[in-house]
Amino acid sequence: MTTAIERTDALSSSQSLQDMLTLPWKHPTIVAGVPWKNPVGTASGTFNVEACSRFYDVAQMGAVSTKGVSIIPWEGNPTPRTAETPAGTVNSVGLQNPGLDHYLANDLPMLKRMGANVITNVAGHSDEDYIQVVERLADKPCDMLEINVSCPNVSHGGMSVGTDAKALHHLIGALRNITDKPMIVKLSPNVTDIVGIAKAAVDAGADALSLINTLVGMRINTTTGRPILANITGGVSGPCIFPIALSFVWRVRRALPDIPIIGIGGISNGDNALEYLYAGANAVEVGAAALLDPIAPLRIARELDDLLDARPELAEKLAEGRTW
Amino acid sequence: MSTQFIPTQIKQRHTGPAKGSHDASDICRCHEPSEGIVVNGESYLPARRSVPIVSVRQLDQGVIELVICDRYMAEHARPAQFANLFTHDGLRLMPRPFGICEICGDEVSFIFAIVGAGTAQFAQMKAGDSIDVLGPLGKTFDLTSPDARYILVGGGLGVPPLIQAAQYLHDSGRENRTTAIFGYRKHHFADSIVGQYSDDVRSIDEEQGNVITVLDSMDAELRQISDPVVILSCGPTPMMKAVAFWASSRGIATQFNLEERMGCGYGTCVVCVVDTIHGRKKVCLEGPVFTAQELGWESER
Repeated sequence: MTTAIERTDALSSSQSLQDMLTLPWKHPTIVAGVPWKNPVGTASGTFNVEACSRFYDVAQMGAVSTKGVSIIPWEGNPTPRTAETPAGTVNSVGLQNPGLDHYLANDLPMLKRMGANVITNVAGHSDEDYIQVVERLADKPCDMLEINVSCPNVSHGGMSVGTDAKALHHLIGALRNITDKPMIVKLSPNVTDIVGIAKAAVDAGADALSLINTLVGMRINTTTGRPILANITGGVSGPCIFPIALSFVWRVRRALPDIPIIGIGGISNGDNALEYLYAGANAVEVGAAALLDPIAPLRIARELDDLLDARPELAEKLAEGRTW
Repeated sequence: MSTQFIPTQIKQRHTGPAKGSHDASDICRCHEPSEGIVVNGESYLPARRSVPIVSVRQLDQGVIELVICDRYMAEHARPAQFANLFTHDGLRLMPRPFGICEICGDEVSFIFAIVGAGTAQFAQMKAGDSIDVLGPLGKTFDLTSPDARYILVGGGLGVPPLIQAAQYLHDSGRENRTTAIFGYRKHHFADSIVGQYSDDVRSIDEEQGNVITVLDSMDAELRQISDPVVILSCGPTPMMKAVAFWASSRGIATQFNLEERMGCGYGTCVVCVVDTIHGRKKVCLEGPVFTAQELGWESER
């Protein structure tokens, strides 16, 4: 129970932010042909350029995956949208976002001006929604796309596509036809056969997989007897999902030795990130940890960079962008 | 309140006595930079950090005042801003956001109710313990009008930001420009605190009525005032809506400090939204201060 205390000691001096932002990166990687200056990105839904760039230089991340963007603005779900759970949180935002026009006019140019390696996370309620966003991104300066077929908090699209191998194959195939950008498909853990889903995405043309999105969960207020979240259920994230997410990456890597994988779920420190790399991930994304400290993704990237010093074989594999 | 308020004329800020009951200098060893962290010419806000606790005391049954020492927060926090506090419990990771109350020297106080295991743990903390904090966060009340008479209408645990507003106005030489109307369930636990900064405290508890009772009693008085009147309010939503209705029918400007269940507290997770006439806004980043007009509360009862 002392992780939080140990962790923050390293953050308290300005010198450490200075080092975190200025030291050269020793262990870069390549994900689906795109160079990352380190193997750590921010996960979608917990990164907003305006909010995060006040605390650190976002260009220092391996990549930043932006909040799921839809063709038109989405209002998201009613509040309350979050409930605490041991070593984690259950959230149900419902992909509230100001829409693609706003993203293209504000977030993306700001991120590129700052020098960030940008993964644009794409959301939709239907195949047509996803197609329209991906079409309009074709000539825009985002570096990679991450197709969000795994949000548990929207009633159409999202997880309903990512839990159906046929529907997923159809959607990814359609997107493959209209974009040359490196395309990551973000997978849901809320399935019985993750390998079947992963294969469907890869067969249809995915360049990489990221996993996992949140697990469906809920909390009930025992004073009122009613669910805490207005949407009743939400997505569980945080350290509590780490071992579960790790096993998903392991299983997909065993089945698909050649596809680049980005491991996501409950990463609190560099050692957790390292576990994902040993499980077969080429890179990781940090999500809920950023809710606890804005600079957690950067700190984790620095910790991993140091841990890789003593692991030259793994570092070399990463540097060459090799998979398993 | 879409822009950050930059203070221009502060007379005596941060010169008050340390609040801890013991010699605070033993505990208060603040080494945080007093400015943001500058790297390669870019300025960054300080991230989460561990700071010493100066004192913890009970103000009322289940109501706790916790004082930390954090020079950066003390120098930069403005009324209605808040800070995230974190437990030491590895299972309770999420931030607890609290409105910033008093600022004395390098010390910053918070007042909160024990509502669950996280706040219960804060209440058990002792002087000399460390606590993780992030902040100050959020935007501030607009206190730029030099001639305004400010009426601070608070309910229950909504009073801390109003105490900070009273202190801020006091320290900028406007202590005679404030009236504090605090509504309590029972004990008037914050009167002595706000009384240090405001010459006019008119509190009320549930046996006596509510904040609207007090506002009604001021009706004639307020009509006499030629200066602009501004109501700053924080408390339960039904109370704030009643205040909005009361004020709008009299043409009085209002600013509300909202509370919403938050995730990150700094604008990244889109959990703490409120519906405004300009769409859904993040309370933590685009608030927590909104006007009645922005909230569409002017005609609601």
